[in-house]
Amino acid sequence: MSQPAIEHAQAPPASAKTGRELFVLQRLLPFLSLIILFVALAIASPHFLTSTNLSSVVRQTAVINIMALGMTMIIITGGIDLSVGAILAMGGLLGTMAMEKGLSIPAGVLIGILTGLACGFANGIMITSLRIEPFIVTLGTLGIFRGTTLIISNGLPVHRIPQQFSFLGEGNLLGVPFVLWILVVCAIVTHVILEHTRLGRYTFAIGSNREAAVYAGIPVKFHTTAVYAIGGMLTGLAGMIEASRLMTGQPTAGQGYELQAIAAVVIGGGSLHGGEGSVIGTLIGAFIMGLLSNGSDLLGVSPYVQQAIIGAVIILAVTLDELRKRRTKAA
Amino acid sequence: MLLELNHIEKRYGGVAALTDGNLAVDRGEVHVLVGENGAGKSTLMKIIAGIVERDAGQMLWLGSEVHLKTPSEAGAIGISMVHQESLLAPHLTVAENLYLGREERLPFGWVRRRRMFESASRLIAEHQFPLRAEWRVEKLTPAGKQLVEICRAILHGSSLVIFDEPTSSLSGSETAEVFRIVKTLRERKMGVIYITHRLNELQSIGDRITILRDGRTVHTAPLAALTSERIIHHMVGREVSAIYQRDALPPGDELLRVEHLTRVGELRDISFSLRAGEIVGMAGLMGAGRTELCRALFGVDPIDSGKVWVCGREVQIASPKEAVKAGIALVTEDRQITGLALRLPIAHNVTLANVPAISRFGFLDAGAQNTAALDFIGRLRIRAGSTRQLAGRLSGGNQQKVVIAKWLFRQARIFLFDEPTRGIDVGAKVEVFNLMNELAREGAAILMVSSEMPELLQVADRILVMREGCITGELPGRTTQEEIMRCAALETVTEKHL
Repeated sequence: MSQPAIEHAQAPPASAKTGRELFVLQRLLPFLSLIILFVALAIASPHFLTSTNLSSVVRQTAVINIMALGMTMIIITGGIDLSVGAILAMGGLLGTMAMEKGLSIPAGVLIGILTGLACGFANGIMITSLRIEPFIVTLGTLGIFRGTTLIISNGLPVHRIPQQFSFLGEGNLLGVPFVLWILVVCAIVTHVILEHTRLGRYTFAIGSNREAAVYAGIPVKFHTTAVYAIGGMLTGLAGMIEASRLMTGQPTAGQGYELQAIAAVVIGGGSLHGGEGSVIGTLIGAFIMGLLSNGSDLLGVSPYVQQAIIGAVIILAVTLDELRKRRTKAA
Repeated sequence: MLLELNHIEKRYGGVAALTDGNLAVDRGEVHVLVGENGAGKSTLMKIIAGIVERDAGQMLWLGSEVHLKTPSEAGAIGISMVHQESLLAPHLTVAENLYLGREERLPFGWVRRRRMFESASRLIAEHQFPLRAEWRVEKLTPAGKQLVEICRAILHGSSLVIFDEPTSSLSGSETAEVFRIVKTLRERKMGVIYITHRLNELQSIGDRITILRDGRTVHTAPLAALTSERIIHHMVGREVSAIYQRDALPPGDELLRVEHLTRVGELRDISFSLRAGEIVGMAGLMGAGRTELCRALFGVDPIDSGKVWVCGREVQIASPKEAVKAGIALVTEDRQITGLALRLPIAHNVTLANVPAISRFGFLDAGAQNTAALDFIGRLRIRAGSTRQLAGRLSGGNQQKVVIAKWLFRQARIFLFDEPTRGIDVGAKVEVFNLMNELAREGAAILMVSSEMPELLQVADRILVMREGCITGELPGRTTQEEIMRCAALETVTEKHL
């Protein structure tokens, strides 16, 4: 996708080699930071490298991670979705309500996912037909979705859920948390969509230059809407996982999750100007945040300090990424 | 000497933009700077204006060495730049833009608006600029915006003004206005550096010329001592067979037919047709409606009435999507805004309008994409490192070729070229013409909008002229500039509907 600029230099000077190495290093920086963080925590805390702890990190991170996959696509189109936290709550609530009313677990999960799909679709339709900026539209729907969820539930959580439902968020398959399997499948599918399908190609084209995409005859509105719908769908799934972990359909679930999902994309190299971002980057971003909060817990760092640390990491990561881009941008 | 640059070097990453840049500008001199795209003109100017720092070499300002780190440092010693793409704040007024960043220093950041407006108005009146201090900049034409930048330079007492291709987006009368202003700057004993691609402008404006090629200064001389041929020779480093030869082709079937097309306020009763193998020129002044016509035909702007036939079938084109489907291609005048995804690789841009051709069941075939991109890089001689090079890193001429490749890959048959040679260098221009010729030979129909009349005369089989939203004349390809101007600026000569 993005190719090292230096490769195209007509006559690489002596310093180009070290420049190139530095460049590769910078590209790998997020991944290396993740590894270093992992190793450092393993050394610092005896409780870190236990299977209980690691699977708890995976479970905690999976919800944000799955949302962030959809957010990656949305951000690549140059858009944003602030309503995902509310969609997560609505999906989780409607899915668990369906089970409470006697529907089977798979049917309930499907309802949660379809709820997310519908919400994302509504966002996409409004963004493309009203021609209002995604930030504004989803700021509005954040309120609408959250409000609707509270109205439907009357503000009360859903508790009467079949016991087996906890498998989705808390179960293990082949010795690994079930959510990890879900995450891996979602990540692979999203990656393939972005890099190897027409939809993915158009996603990058729209984010890189929407005008040029329109002039090339691409159905821009259709594909933009599709991206928001996919984002909503993934969020609906994340909502069901969250509900399963809590074993409640919580109408107030997911508050602030939108910012965590956006942070994961941005730490992973996504640009809010559109046209840039990757599934692998986002996964790394989400896990860095997950490890930071887990590590702080283990090391007894107060949750107040945690927030500040994660905030600083966001700024640091984006700064480094910007420096890399600026260095490679010749006139 | 006002400014002297000796052996300037600059690299971006591993790419050498300048290896030996030399330039000397005196007071009261208009110094023309020419060179092909990528020759290092922009980089040299950015160094002078403090936008980038040099890696090596010497820059003397009034005889003493300076190191400029920011544009405001350059401004403080008296260097201003009039940018090709306007760098003004569009939502502010002319006066506010003139004083932007240089407001009077009053307590609490207070701004004396009235006084600012008065002094701006005085300056505008003194130079008889067609501007008003209270106009909002976003409403100005490109020429108007340049005037604002020139006013800024005068207002802040600059002694050196750099013009980066000032006339590339201007009409004939606006160009004359810019020339007049450049001359007044010279009379005020200011130094002017003037970058241009239009070689025919040189003699009427410049005193001396410096020619850059591949990052080094290859020639400096009084302009009077050089002919256009010599200048081109220095620029490209070889003799250009700049004489482009148009094949004489018998026109084929009618591919596009437009009747009574009207868009209220922009286009009135437009009728014409294009045949296969034909290159039809479209002349007219800025604002005559030529770009608007292209946009309407391509479905960007809706039409109010009129009919359009493509290959004999009547079509309703309500969006670019439908235009593309009908086989129409639009090469826009602002390729960076509407033609290319600059941050995506060449391969993606070439295949952008025809992704279905490189995908099966929605999945992309990377091999097919690469083959297509390589094919066009070879056929159109696009100078690129690989198919994965970002479009934004190509020179203007190569970017234009990528845009054309995009439509070739889409197998379009009706090409609307809107100012296809804007901002590209001499060598690339001829290549673009040859490409158009080849397209025509393969049975495409071409409409070419251009403000450069010599180009139209060179390339077109017949020339349509527009004025105030109407077609005011149809002339044979072997007409004269005077004839075109008469249709474009004066009354209707022949109102001939096909």
